[in-house]
Amino acid sequence: MTAIARTWGRLTLPGKVVFTLVPILAALTVGLIAVIAIFGGAIWDILLANLGIVRFVIAVTIILLVTIPIAFLNIYLEMKVIALMNLRVGPDRVGPWGSLLSVVHGLKVLMKEDFTPTGADAVVFTWAPVVTYGAAVMTVLVLPFAPGLIAQDFNIGLLYFFAVGGMGVVGLLMAGWASFNKYSLLGGLRSAAQIISYEIPLTLSVVGLLILAGTMSLNGIVEQQSGWFTDWFVFRQPLGFLIFFIAATAEGNRTPFDLTEADSEIVAGFATEYSGMRFGFFFFAEYVNVFILSALAVVLFFGGWNAPFPFPAISIPIDLAAIGLPLLFLIALVPPIATLIFAAPFYLMRSSMRWWVALIVGFVLFNVVAGGLVFAWAFVSFDWVAGLVWFLAKTFGFVFVFVWMRGTLPRVRIDQLMGFAWKWLLPAALLNLFVTAAAVVVVGS
Amino acid sequence: MSLIPGFGMVRGMALTLRRFFEPKATIRYPEVKADIPPKFRGRLQLLYDEYGTLKCETCFQCAQACPIECIDMGGMDTKGRFHVHWGPPETYGERREESALRRSGRPVPDPAYTHFEGLDIRALDGILESFDHDPAHMLPILEATQAAYGYLPVAALKHISQVTGAWYATIYGTASFYGHLRFEPPSQAEQAAAMAARRPADADFMAGLGASLAGRPGGDA
Repeated sequence: MTAIARTWGRLTLPGKVVFTLVPILAALTVGLIAVIAIFGGAIWDILLANLGIVRFVIAVTIILLVTIPIAFLNIYLEMKVIALMNLRVGPDRVGPWGSLLSVVHGLKVLMKEDFTPTGADAVVFTWAPVVTYGAAVMTVLVLPFAPGLIAQDFNIGLLYFFAVGGMGVVGLLMAGWASFNKYSLLGGLRSAAQIISYEIPLTLSVVGLLILAGTMSLNGIVEQQSGWFTDWFVFRQPLGFLIFFIAATAEGNRTPFDLTEADSEIVAGFATEYSGMRFGFFFFAEYVNVFILSALAVVLFFGGWNAPFPFPAISIPIDLAAIGLPLLFLIALVPPIATLIFAAPFYLMRSSMRWWVALIVGFVLFNVVAGGLVFAWAFVSFDWVAGLVWFLAKTFGFVFVFVWMRGTLPRVRIDQLMGFAWKWLLPAALLNLFVTAAAVVVVGS
Repeated sequence: MSLIPGFGMVRGMALTLRRFFEPKATIRYPEVKADIPPKFRGRLQLLYDEYGTLKCETCFQCAQACPIECIDMGGMDTKGRFHVHWGPPETYGERREESALRRSGRPVPDPAYTHFEGLDIRALDGILESFDHDPAHMLPILEATQAAYGYLPVAALKHISQVTGAWYATIYGTASFYGHLRFEPPSQAEQAAAMAARRPADADFMAGLGASLAGRPGGDA
């Protein structure tokens, strides 16, 4: 016993960690292998029998992991685009063109103190950001990213989207109430009033589109817009799109409707008392919301993953199996040879360049060219790659518009906000619905 | 056009989109230095030397030269009664005195600034008597003093200031302006030569000194 204690005492801290972890990990691995070996067949059968649940769990995991980079990208876009519009350079220190700054922000938020104010309702206070972020993430479930790349193709996808998306306001209200702070409460109530008011024109503006599409499945709506870009619903429902876009801006608490966190009026609204990663989740939820609303606008009105024109079908007959053994030599030889070929002109043209610098430049160039070629091949060969590219391009176009609006427009007053929703958007949405229905009846009869 | 609702928003959006593509005003500071005019001096502030004393001699040349009168100085008037921050430079005389004295008394290797020793002032009194204690003849007085002592001891300058009533700063400024006046004794070899030359005839010494200073102000000393 003493010998073991002495040996343990001589270990350094990393040694202690390793000597503790290695047996645990080894035991876990052995146990897992044993479980798989003994019950493997049964587990597999159970998983196969419940494919829907498995698919759902995997999809939710992937979406949870994917929303964070999306939020990072949106935050970076916001910082950079608004800076460029202000004639500034914006973030340019961390990563290429400052693109890693939002990651650094995320790390900073992680390291901050998670503070709960005295008098706050701790449970509600803690769960509020979870609800908000969960609502934002769960709406991604029904978004068709590309042909076949959809987590769950509900036949009531749009309804689900609005229902779950409206749950975010519950989180904001929880945060506002639980913070034990007047400004937070004001922000929470503002967000409730605003989002409930704008839910109505938002939903009504889409009803005309639903009459035309005849389905609520987002995948089905996208498929109806295939072909030329004139088939997109934005050309059949321009007023509907306008109402949808304005209402979506309010729904996402974006400028000019960001009254819930109007820092010149109510500090930071519902987020006043939040710090650390809880605030980070609100922050992320906002930017995920921007992405989701852009994606929904693209899916409903701009053809989703459809290309704006029928893409000529090109097939590149590359059958890797047919090459056979020479493929190994190709894989081994092409990168160094191509690196040398790309490096040669730089080394020969610029006498000041060291050979190894030229080699690095050649290697990078080769990677860019090879990556581009592979991407082009994938774009042409796989439907879902092309679809994903079109979808993301359109969506980030809309994200840019949201950021652009934030860089331009001033915030409205709360009475203007409410008056606009009830006096203008709601009648316009009803008019749009009526005209669409009448047109359908007239054309159909 | 402005009657169309939302047109102002469209114009604003167009403006920001134009700005988006315009060249940026940012100067990436550590890599790129701003293009600063050569006469730019940055923020005006009084500097301290390595001994912790103000480098400002209260000469007022900066305030007089400043074209837009943004440089200003404050001080007490000559009777020590009122705080003033405008007026002719003479108003701030006591501050100049103080500043110049502080600089002359500080411990620096320059002999002109070393703490001065006592001095036999009989020769100096004679010189001052011959010039009728008139501060208007400051340069001849200083030249005669240097001829008498070989250099201008700080004690002599203080005595001149006391007797003639001229500010020490003025005397110090005059003495430091002319190249042939010096605050330190000449070096050993030079002094020996000068002493050897002085024994035979003062005239020869003065002529030699004058020749060595030919073409410079006060060269006829």
